[in-house]
Amino acid sequence: MEQRLAAAAGGRNHNLFPKSLNAVLSLINNPCTSDSTLTTISKTLIFHLQNPNSNHQQILSLLSTLSDHHPRLHREVSAAVNAFILLPSIPIPALPHALSLLDPANSAALDLFSDESLFLSLCFYECVKTRKWVLRNVSKFRVRPSVLLTILLGFTMDPYPYIREAALDGLVMILNDGVVVEDRSLVGGCYFRAAELLFDADSSVRRSAVSAVSEWGQLNVASNPDECKRDWSDALFLQLCLMVRDMDVEIRVAAFNALGKIPTVSENILLQTLSKKALLSTKEKIYPGQYTEKLTKIPATAAAFTFLHGLEDDFFQVRRSACHALQTPTVPSAEFACGTVDILVCMLNDASVVVRLQALETLHHMASHGHLKVAESHLDMFFSILIDNDALIRSAMRKTLQFTKLQKLAMFRSCIENLIKNLELYPEDEADIFYALYRIGCLHRKFVVKVIQEVSQELEPSFDGKLGFNKVRTAGLFVLAISAPVSLERKTSSVPPQIFSYAVTLLGRICCGLVDVVDENTLLTYLSQCSRFTFTSTSENIEGGSLDFGLKYNRIHLHEKSNKVSSPSEILGPNEFTSPVESHVKSMSCVKIIFQKIVDLWPLIQLGCMNEVARTLRSWKEETRLFTRDSHQPAGVLVFAMNYIHTIKLLGNAWAYSLSKTNLQLKGMGALENLLGKMERRLTEMLYRLACGDTCYFEEYMRKLDFVLHSIEYLHKEGSVEISRFVTELQNASREIGNSEDKAVDMPDLLLNSLSLFSLQHIMLSGELKHLDAEVDVCGNDFRKPLPFIPGLPVGIPFEITLHNISSEIKLWLAISVGERSTQFVFLDLNEFGGSDERRKFNFVAPFFRTPIVKHLVLKVSIVMESLSEDRNLKRCNRPKHELIYLSGGREVHLSMVVR
Amino acid sequence: MAIECLVLGAGQEVGKSCVVVTINGKRIMFDCGMHMRYTDLRQYPDFSLISDSGDFTSSLSCVIITHFHLDHIGALPYFTQVLGYDGPIYMTYPTKALAPLALEDYRKQTERRGEKEQFTAEHIADCMKKVTAVDLKQTIHVDKDLQIQAYYAGHVLGAAMFYAKVGDAALVYTGDYNMVPDRLLGAAQIDRLQLDLVISESTYATTYRDSKYVQEREFLKAVHKCVASGGKVLIPTNALGRAQELCMLLDDYWERTNLKVPIYFSSGSTIQANLYHRILINWTSQKVKDTHARHNAFDFKNVKSFDRSLINAPGPCVLFASPGMLGGGFSLEVLKQWAPYEENLVMLPGSCSTGTVGSKLMSAKIPTQIKLDENVKIDVRCQIYKLAFSAHTDAKGIMDLVKFLSPKHVLLVHGEKPKMAALKEKIQSELGIECCYPANNETVTIPSTHHIEAGVSDAFLQSCLAPNFKFWKTNVGSDERTPPLLQVYDDRVSQGILTLQNPRVISQNELRDVLGLENHLVKFDHCCSAAYDSEISNAASDWLPSTSQRNSLLQLLFGIVSRDFPDCIMHDCQKGIQVGSFVASMCSREECPSGNADALHFRCTWSATDEELAWKVISLVKNVKLSSASLDSFRVLMDF
Repeated sequence: MEQRLAAAAGGRNHNLFPKSLNAVLSLINNPCTSDSTLTTISKTLIFHLQNPNSNHQQILSLLSTLSDHHPRLHREVSAAVNAFILLPSIPIPALPHALSLLDPANSAALDLFSDESLFLSLCFYECVKTRKWVLRNVSKFRVRPSVLLTILLGFTMDPYPYIREAALDGLVMILNDGVVVEDRSLVGGCYFRAAELLFDADSSVRRSAVSAVSEWGQLNVASNPDECKRDWSDALFLQLCLMVRDMDVEIRVAAFNALGKIPTVSENILLQTLSKKALLSTKEKIYPGQYTEKLTKIPATAAAFTFLHGLEDDFFQVRRSACHALQTPTVPSAEFACGTVDILVCMLNDASVVVRLQALETLHHMASHGHLKVAESHLDMFFSILIDNDALIRSAMRKTLQFTKLQKLAMFRSCIENLIKNLELYPEDEADIFYALYRIGCLHRKFVVKVIQEVSQELEPSFDGKLGFNKVRTAGLFVLAISAPVSLERKTSSVPPQIFSYAVTLLGRICCGLVDVVDENTLLTYLSQCSRFTFTSTSENIEGGSLDFGLKYNRIHLHEKSNKVSSPSEILGPNEFTSPVESHVKSMSCVKIIFQKIVDLWPLIQLGCMNEVARTLRSWKEETRLFTRDSHQPAGVLVFAMNYIHTIKLLGNAWAYSLSKTNLQLKGMGALENLLGKMERRLTEMLYRLACGDTCYFEEYMRKLDFVLHSIEYLHKEGSVEISRFVTELQNASREIGNSEDKAVDMPDLLLNSLSLFSLQHIMLSGELKHLDAEVDVCGNDFRKPLPFIPGLPVGIPFEITLHNISSEIKLWLAISVGERSTQFVFLDLNEFGGSDERRKFNFVAPFFRTPIVKHLVLKVSIVMESLSEDRNLKRCNRPKHELIYLSGGREVHLSMVVR
Repeated sequence: MAIECLVLGAGQEVGKSCVVVTINGKRIMFDCGMHMRYTDLRQYPDFSLISDSGDFTSSLSCVIITHFHLDHIGALPYFTQVLGYDGPIYMTYPTKALAPLALEDYRKQTERRGEKEQFTAEHIADCMKKVTAVDLKQTIHVDKDLQIQAYYAGHVLGAAMFYAKVGDAALVYTGDYNMVPDRLLGAAQIDRLQLDLVISESTYATTYRDSKYVQEREFLKAVHKCVASGGKVLIPTNALGRAQELCMLLDDYWERTNLKVPIYFSSGSTIQANLYHRILINWTSQKVKDTHARHNAFDFKNVKSFDRSLINAPGPCVLFASPGMLGGGFSLEVLKQWAPYEENLVMLPGSCSTGTVGSKLMSAKIPTQIKLDENVKIDVRCQIYKLAFSAHTDAKGIMDLVKFLSPKHVLLVHGEKPKMAALKEKIQSELGIECCYPANNETVTIPSTHHIEAGVSDAFLQSCLAPNFKFWKTNVGSDERTPPLLQVYDDRVSQGILTLQNPRVISQNELRDVLGLENHLVKFDHCCSAAYDSEISNAASDWLPSTSQRNSLLQLLFGIVSRDFPDCIMHDCQKGIQVGSFVASMCSREECPSGNADALHFRCTWSATDEELAWKVISLVKNVKLSSASLDSFRVLMDF
């Protein structure tokens, strides 16, 4: 055979006969074929390839089999095919096959794919198959977007349905690839062409048309001037509404998915979606678009019953998608949200778990935006969900309940009863239920007081003096009682104070549930403090403002000192079941949305509506926190987002403070400085701990301001930021202050003037943020198992240190402190420990020198990082020279004198 | 060509559905129903209109039955066995299975009433033997030209819409359908077809029904309230369909709320129907299909069969009894016993035909007395609840279907006249589709598409293969603020030319050859004078310009023209200059049509396409003055 092949190669036969083709194929497939034969085969085939008379299709398919089976020949084949394509005599039908054989990593192949004339000749070749191949592989070609767009738009007119479909998919792909189309008429052209194809006879074309309409429609909205944006957005909404009655399931799903992406829709159209009959407000309105194959004006009534049709659908995929699509429009329109609650509650009874879950998620979404108004009639449905078989559903329901404001005491009572019933039936939910009880309690403080008074008998120990608190019900009621209002200042509580001391007996269990809110020690302090309070039966005496100040303070405190929120008693939320990648994408999009929306809050801050703002920020923070539960090591983006939200809150508070002159006059600058200081710490942390540096006087502020301005100028020169008007104004102000004689008088005014120009900008995160984090631990050490030491002598403490995302250039120190005053620093030379920057874990024995002469000693150890840019001479050796950023929470190390 | 529709029944009314459609020479009868209000021959469609001779077999291509309800199938045994139709009959498998049940049920009722029966049990059995059962979306070739296809219609088990196509004309007959799924059945499902006509039912032509969730909730609330206060609930339903749906709903609710009140099914045929539903699981809703592997939705946990002795047993209960409209039978019997008590509840179906006890109850104000016949009256003090459920689509559903199918015409049947009129208006104004609703025994003619075969030339075929699209910007509407819209056109087909004799499509290039014509080209000719200064004129007056001088004058002109028109070229033989198709040469005086001897003349010719260009060049030539100085300088230039 080999000889025959060689003869064929040598004899320069022009055509391989079918028989020999089969033989070649079997030789290629046979694993025992020798290398030399294979080389001969490839040579023969390549030789025949260059012959204009041979059957190129056959040879190419043999070559592709060859390179698939024998990767070592891959390069050779690829090069030969490359040469073949460059032949002037190449037959166009063979091109697609040849192109698909090219090695994409090869630069010569890249040239071919960026050859526009080749691309065009393939496109306009009269064979449909070739055209289809080109369209399906359009992403491989590197041609100018304008050419690509024109070709694709033209092909939407093709008589073949699969070419139209591929062209529409291509149009969507272009946008997803980030091609910017600025010509308004071109955008409109693509949009309307896609809309025409919504009425195609072929369902696969319609399917592609839905996504094309969605994408180009949004671009069309964006490319129109502001005053028309709303109309175009409405038109897009209506256009997609038409598709929810398509007979194809996938089209309906796609239509609802697309509807859920439209951020702004007029309220009257939204309300029309809830009613079958034409509403007065929409009756006469028409919008541009394709209503039927012939009619090009869509009446606003086309939206009638849209969402309900989806919720009534036979297929759970459609129902779920419709439930999901309801999330977006319920946010801006409270009235619409109100109308959907009724029907969403019915969806809680759906046969499909997925739909139930999605309905709950939508309800939760509405609740977190404060649009969930629950009527008494809905509660039965809600509560029946609490005893659902599915843990996910129960958990989602509780999450929704946490945000739900109940109007009546009876509703609240039955809510509590049902949560406790849930607890009795499913003890594994305990931690989550406790948290829900606490949150609901916080939301309905007056009701809590009443309910606790009603059940206080149950909470008393039985008359033989034993505390029979092993019942889960009692535990639940204790948690509820903790959320009752107390006044720390007046030392009064609205529920019998002994309840707090009873609650202490269940401290561990309660703490598991409230792990997000408070740590064990704080809770213990709080409970023991409250149990000494006096009982006032009239809860009116206790005002909301100073309520559980202790808890709130601790929450902030807790958050500052540790970034790991996860705990072993983690509650199973729906997110647990999503893969890390998916959850990352979800969290990214959540963060993106938050960044987008936070800009809208600025006007509210300027108006001084801090309560509103704080509420919104809090809900966002909650949401972000949900994601951090997923992993022990929260993504940098999330940490950044949480810090950012917090900063905005502080900034808002500072702003509100400075806004009211009376405040300034009465309380002076102290409180404001305090706020600013907090904010600055937070910013410093964001700056240094999230890689891609104090309270002071006015002079100090000016120095800082100058520093910041210089940095901005530097960035500006590098071309990475644009200078906003606020910054220019600030520069002017700082210059004026510099020139001014009486600095202290002019300065505040000038600064305040420039403040009016400040506004929040939308933050765009372009890349991955890395969160610099560190954990320090001493194995097995706690107050029961202290390390031995001899007072007055140095002691070595074995630490287990884990570092995340810390490169070796960063100067790390171990800060060991006794009490508040004296701190000893130990330098950590990262080069010694190995491991990657991403994660490093090592053991390190650090000496502690100045052990005081005591029997027991508690050291607080944390890992700190030196910020390198801001110079601040601390003027002492053996310790960091720059400002410090705390990377880990303080770990307590217990030491005990060696007893002989 | 036209489609002819003869409406034999259900024209502007509900009952005895029957439409005979003639389409490209084929005659199809859709449905063959009976009217339940009459007991004599008026209950049947007037079959004599189909054929005078009574030879139905040869005058009809086939009969198609959409579902087993009597108003759609009731007259079939009579038509086949008594009138002797022997052609093909098509219906879906479930319809074929369930139709004998329904027919037999009806026959027994008439027997019981002592009325004269129109067909016997043997008739039913023999009739069903002639039926060909079809599957959904299965294409049936009735004969060489006629093909039909069934699509899922919801409504009842086995209900189908039928698509019929003869040649290029196609239509869909919907029968009864539902566009919203319920617990038992899915929603109607059909492809987007090229249709000339849709014949649609229009029972609820003006009704807009609330969401099914609201309906279900209200139904359950009413039932729960009644049984909670110790009352008995009577739900008169027909054995098939609705009973199963409500039962599923109640069973589910009972499970959820842990109710222990018994639910009864009265008749044996209901239990048989349950069995059929179980077997025909493939025709039920998605949910039933999805779950039936784990749990059969028809295994009701709380449902028991009813015993007559239980009618007056104490305690609450829920009872399903047939017939649905309380026209007699067991449901009426129970009603007599239960109606006088306030705590009891009767659930009436959405629509009851006039004359039945059901319709009387519906319009009555409680408490009242209802006359059954001369001697029997019942006191009605119980509560009445009207079920909002319906297996028929509402107005929105009809509109949605018509919009989806976008046929050229719509014909409405199976509805009430005023409501149909309203719907017709809506279809015409909103969708721009022609619509009509003929009365019984009327014939409507509807134009249909007819394609003519035409040959194509190779050149045209070739040009059709390659894409050939163009973009235009067009102004849409009168609004000037909206930018012109970019539209795409693919001209490959429209560029063809259809020759009518011996129909054939050719491409534009071939036209001349095919018609045997010569190509004509229109050319313009103009003699243009150019001003020149006296020196040249002196020199020119006494001699005819020599060739060299001519050339240099032309050169001069070329110099001037080429300044403004860069693509101007000088002819090889230096006879003239050319821009596009515009050619200018020196005019010899003898030939000059203007005959003006005083000026220097250039003779200009051009073809029609370059007219604008030509006049631009001419105006340029007219406005320049050729001087000897420039001539000299030009010469100098040339020398170099």
